[in-house]
Amino acid sequence: MQSNISTTLLSFPKEFFRQNSEMMDGLVRRVFQEGQSEISFPSVCLMAVGGYGRAELAPSSDIDLLLLYSSSQKEKLPPLIEKILYPLWDLGLDVSCSSRSINECLKMAQSDLHVKTSLIDGRYLDGEYEFFRKLYGLFTKKVLHRKVEKFAEALAQDLHLRHEKYEDPTYTLEPNIKEGKGGLRDFQVGRWIIRAKYKTDRWDSILFPDHSRMLDKSLEFLWTLRNQLHQLSGRKQEDFSFELQEKIAPLLGFSNGTEGIEEMMRQYHLSTERISNFVNDVLDHVLHDPSPLRKALFLFKRRRIDKNFRMAYGEIYFQNSLIFKKDPTQLMTLFGYCQAHQAKMDFRMEEAVLEALPLIDDRFRNSEKVNQTFLSILREGESVETTLRKMHELGFLSRYIPEFSEIEGRVHYDLYHVHPVDIHSILAVGELGKLREGCYRNNYPLLTSLIGEIDKAEILFLATLLHDIGKGREGEHPLVGAEMAKLIADRMGLSLEDRELVDFLVSHHLVMVETAFRRDLHDEQAILRFANQVKTSNRLKMLYLLTFADVKAVGPEAWTSWKDTLLMELFLKTSHFFEKGAVAGPFLKGDEMIQKLRESLSSEIISKYADHLPSRYLSCYSSAEIAHHIEMARSIEKEFLLVEWEIVKEVQAKVTICTKDRYGLFSKIVGSMFLNRLNIIEAQINTWEDGVVLDTFWVEDSTKDLDRRLEQLKKDLGKILSGNVLLKDLLLTGEEPNSIRKKVVPKVPTEIRVNNEDSDFYTIVEATAEDRLGILYEIAQVLTDHGCDIHFARISTLGNRIVDVFYVQDAWGEKIEGKNRVDQLKRALSRLVLKSGNESNQ
Amino acid sequence: MKKIEAIIKPFKLDEVKNAITKIGIQGMTVTEVKGFGRQRGHTEVYRGAEYKIDFLPKVKIELITPDEMVSQVLETIERAAKTGKIGDGKIFISPVEEVIRIRTGERGKDAI
Repeated sequence: MQSNISTTLLSFPKEFFRQNSEMMDGLVRRVFQEGQSEISFPSVCLMAVGGYGRAELAPSSDIDLLLLYSSSQKEKLPPLIEKILYPLWDLGLDVSCSSRSINECLKMAQSDLHVKTSLIDGRYLDGEYEFFRKLYGLFTKKVLHRKVEKFAEALAQDLHLRHEKYEDPTYTLEPNIKEGKGGLRDFQVGRWIIRAKYKTDRWDSILFPDHSRMLDKSLEFLWTLRNQLHQLSGRKQEDFSFELQEKIAPLLGFSNGTEGIEEMMRQYHLSTERISNFVNDVLDHVLHDPSPLRKALFLFKRRRIDKNFRMAYGEIYFQNSLIFKKDPTQLMTLFGYCQAHQAKMDFRMEEAVLEALPLIDDRFRNSEKVNQTFLSILREGESVETTLRKMHELGFLSRYIPEFSEIEGRVHYDLYHVHPVDIHSILAVGELGKLREGCYRNNYPLLTSLIGEIDKAEILFLATLLHDIGKGREGEHPLVGAEMAKLIADRMGLSLEDRELVDFLVSHHLVMVETAFRRDLHDEQAILRFANQVKTSNRLKMLYLLTFADVKAVGPEAWTSWKDTLLMELFLKTSHFFEKGAVAGPFLKGDEMIQKLRESLSSEIISKYADHLPSRYLSCYSSAEIAHHIEMARSIEKEFLLVEWEIVKEVQAKVTICTKDRYGLFSKIVGSMFLNRLNIIEAQINTWEDGVVLDTFWVEDSTKDLDRRLEQLKKDLGKILSGNVLLKDLLLTGEEPNSIRKKVVPKVPTEIRVNNEDSDFYTIVEATAEDRLGILYEIAQVLTDHGCDIHFARISTLGNRIVDVFYVQDAWGEKIEGKNRVDQLKRALSRLVLKSGNESNQ
Repeated sequence: MKKIEAIIKPFKLDEVKNAITKIGIQGMTVTEVKGFGRQRGHTEVYRGAEYKIDFLPKVKIELITPDEMVSQVLETIERAAKTGKIGDGKIFISPVEEVIRIRTGERGKDAI
């Protein structure tokens, strides 16, 4: 039945409950009286129990009734119950009515937890008042205040089972506001225990006024939500589904759209967190109140930690209740002890901590002793997550790091992020803790070994705790967060170097995920760009660990073996770069070079080409040269080949060739040079990522006939590349080899190396041999015949010795792997260079 | 109607998705998968320890399309997913007997 009570009252739950219950009471009394007049049944008492008993009626709450009778008149009861139930059912109310004698009630309450708790909230409605009075006198004396500890244990167990059922992450996103963790049922559990133990309903009697006010607000918020849920869905709806979240946020005055929903859910999580803490506190009080025997033993078991703290039964006690007032820094010391001794706090200790929270001021936050203790908790401690959780639960963490309060309870309105940001951050630190403790040794051996390798683990832990700190503010959260984290690190007295590390980790905490999942890990450039951002091996390890912790802490299904593989691959490839030193030095200058190019080229051209230019290429040329190369590349869209040269000192020339890449190109170019008797001294072969080839050669011709020869080279190459002539044929008809024999020179040791270790992307072929005209062509030919595509080459001549390095891949873009392939290639090249050595010795 | 299943490289997902939406395909299913084909797994070495990558991470997209769009969809996926290197993936096409939209009970083309 939907009442006539105005819907605006839904948000004032106490008043709503009052009016709704009053109206319901009137209704129930009327049907009861009518029933009684039809069926004469004098001595019976009608009671409201459960939520209705507490007069906390949401729009579609159950109405639980209890009829108390004296045992002699049982037969007439069923007709009376019918008279009461039918009219109420007809109104669409969810009514249940049980009937018991006083003795039955007491007996059942002793054995059945549910009956017992529903009786606690019992309320007289109509009929024989004496029955009610008698039941309550006996119930409180014989049941409620007896064996309170057992009662609490049973409730704790029930609570635990209930939480387990709602532990599934979907319930974190779409919580059940009654049964879930920190939900309304949890609050009742706390209240029942207080009633049983302290005979009062005033929970503030065992809480600080501050806390009870907050608790009251939390409770009202949940009640309001439940009222709206019932009202909107027209039934007893306690699952706070996405659909209803969307509808309710604006009704409660939150802004429209995702932001409003996130803010509402943040309040929800803060509220349930408070209720959760409340019930845990209450349970702790009751369950751990030491028995007289224990109190006696306690004196013996107690041992001293220092002059302020003692420990017994795994709990820390204080020696003097004024310690925090005298010296607030003892607060952090206490957390340090809790961790070092794997101990809990005695509940009086916790109260003292709560009471001391206002003493945490800027002096505390700037205190070296405090900060050093905090960092050592992060650095050395086992179970760092437990310690941080306790700090968080007691409100200590957000007093110590005030910025942390901005992310408390903050949620993402999506299906992926299960936990609010504060909990997520602490869980992420917990994941690192598990790695460090070796829990993941079998599943994630690489990460486990890495966490042992890094320097300054505490900085990583701190950055992980703070990685999402920017989520409470406007802007890109990694950047905003990095600014905040820098301030925090500064306050903690970290060195400049450590502050920079925190800054880097927080501001880059998404970069590894973005690179691993969205970039081609078989593209050297992608890895290089990533390595450029990371810069050092220690940072890379930390970033990998942070990324793992961050993803893992999102939810149980967030970390998959798919992501694991991609991130591991990115880590290993980048790590190889650092180990080989391949990234250090000139490669880092790529970005600077692009900046410089912006001065001379239009941004349109830059944006078209910048991404295609390999770092290796950028590091070998000046910006003027590169700008010129880009001009050349632009014009080969019309002409397919450009050959330019510049003669130096009559006998040498620098030749620049620009064309589109094709298989065997290098061998065709050097073949044409051989054909034209041009001796190659140095060469630089570059393949841009868009398939443009830009090669520079330093060639020599001792006959000082360079212009003519180069002109001819251009013609020959044009014909070969357009497919009109075969290089083979030209070589056959070419001039006789130069008959001038070289003079005898010292023999050069030859060496061929095929290296698959130094690059993750290319096979590196190195050849050292005695120089002779055409040798480069022959080498190139062998490489081409063995299926090698040359991406980069550096040819140099030192006296009569050539040292050539080729970066090659096969036609599939893979390295030349497999023992057979490598051996064949090596043999062929060795045969070639040895032949050359023999020839020149003849 | 045909079902088109494509196994592609993970980093190509955005490109393929954009290209496909551009030609008017309204929905698809995306799964993170692992496997191997001609591009085998490999072993990476770090500090002497070997880390095996047996199965390579790929993305599988599945979509249902009316017969007349099949060739356009295939062409689009092929173009967007291609890098020219090994491991670019495969596309499978198979006939679909019936499609039902659960909410409305619509069948056939209307339900796609």
